[in-house]
Amino acid sequence: MRALGIAATGMMAQQTNVDVISNNIANANTTGFKSSRAAFQDLIYDSRTREGAVTAEQGTTRPTGVDVGLGVRTVGTVRLNTQGGLMPTDNQLDVSVEGRGYFTVNLPDGNQAYTRDGSFQLSPEGEIVTLQGYTVDPGLVVPENTVNLEINEQGIVSAYVGDDPVPVELGQLTLTTFINEAGLRPLGNNLMEATNASGDPLQAVPGDPGVGMIRQGFLENSNVNIIQQITDLISAQRAYEMNSKAIETADQMMSTTNQVK
Amino acid sequence: MDNSNYVALSLAQAMQRDLDVTANNIANANTAGFKGEHIVFESYLHDSADPQVTEDVSFVLDSGSYLDDRQGPLSETGNPLDVALLGKGWFSYRTPEGDMAYGRDGRFVTSPQGDLMTLSGSMVLDAGGGEIALPPGTGDVVISRDGTISTADGGVIAQIGVFDLPELQSLERIGNGMFVRAEGAAPAVQIAALETEVVQGSIERSNIEPVVEMTRLMEIQRAYERAVNLMTAEDDLRRDTLQKLGQNV
Repeated sequence: MRALGIAATGMMAQQTNVDVISNNIANANTTGFKSSRAAFQDLIYDSRTREGAVTAEQGTTRPTGVDVGLGVRTVGTVRLNTQGGLMPTDNQLDVSVEGRGYFTVNLPDGNQAYTRDGSFQLSPEGEIVTLQGYTVDPGLVVPENTVNLEINEQGIVSAYVGDDPVPVELGQLTLTTFINEAGLRPLGNNLMEATNASGDPLQAVPGDPGVGMIRQGFLENSNVNIIQQITDLISAQRAYEMNSKAIETADQMMSTTNQVK
Repeated sequence: MDNSNYVALSLAQAMQRDLDVTANNIANANTAGFKGEHIVFESYLHDSADPQVTEDVSFVLDSGSYLDDRQGPLSETGNPLDVALLGKGWFSYRTPEGDMAYGRDGRFVTSPQGDLMTLSGSMVLDAGGGEIALPPGTGDVVISRDGTISTADGGVIAQIGVFDLPELQSLERIGNGMFVRAEGAAPAVQIAALETEVVQGSIERSNIEPVVEMTRLMEIQRAYERAVNLMTAEDDLRRDTLQKLGQNV
């Protein structure tokens, strides 16, 4: 009797499902967060009798076989890379990407990470940094006495310094795109890193074809659809219960067997 | 030799196997593109060697399991690379081992090179059996109802192949939501455009029906208990016989 093991794989899969869903719900208000979904696939099958086996000398074959599946496994968590809603904040250093692309962040260990979270700040030296204090590539420094900072759709940052009516161009915020965005690995703190699956980072200029535009004064909300998450949570719970019923049935059948003698 | 114990045993064994299949259906209640499996029972006749006995004894034999290929409900995800089939037909894949496989799991991703593949790493094939590559920098693609993949500005990239498999029940399950055509079975035929609708941004949920599977669990358990009761009754009968005959000696 394999039902016990099969149902156990089902319960473990639903546990993973609930874990992923609760993380989505917990991050419903996280800037730039992309919701994930656990993806399941069936395990291998034990073919007790094979389809197409010859059943008579006349060449007749068995039209069906007995395939007993061995359960389910979590094959991955798929991130839904759709645009989150843009929320106006009126903060000059709040920027969001409308379309594809990630801001590039220089980590203290020298590696680069990628984020959709554009709630930037200034470091004591005037550098544009993330909320954790990591430099946003390419490391633009805002001069002292800057009255107003403007970031256009192409990511060009200009500063109005003092009384000067002519802005100083500081540089351009670049974006990074990936062939397979779903392959990025989340690091926490709204950061992600490139992997073999995502492909190499491709530097892009905001506003180019296929690349998103920069919107100053807006933050990107998470793209978590709460209603969907709650309904998924309900269906995960019910599926978990169904699997436990299968275990209960197997258990009672074995207990019946023990009462024979 | 009295056969009733063995008849009961054949039922008990068949029920155990059925429980395994039902448990697998339930375990895959949330597996996208999963198709349920059900066992077929047959009576297996046994001619008694004794000419005095005219009645045949029939055992239970689970002779095969069949694929329930009904449409699963579609559920919207909004992911541009989630594709569901509405109507009959199968996507075709090439497994990493190079075999052709078919399935209804349309949760596609791209490889680092831009090839369209399944979550377990099998290539998704187009109508002609070729791999589908999305050029770098394509951005979000649009997939039309006939499976044509195009870029946002209308450039056609490829068409996802949707095939009909005439000998459905001869498909062998290889896991990961994939099926392999039995050797010698009729070849896959491409389905005419729009006969089956390709829906972008949705996945096809598992087609198992929870109520049916739960009632099946109850039936299996009770049938198993019946079989075991029959064995117990047979055991009691024999013990009784031995006791009574023993007293007369």
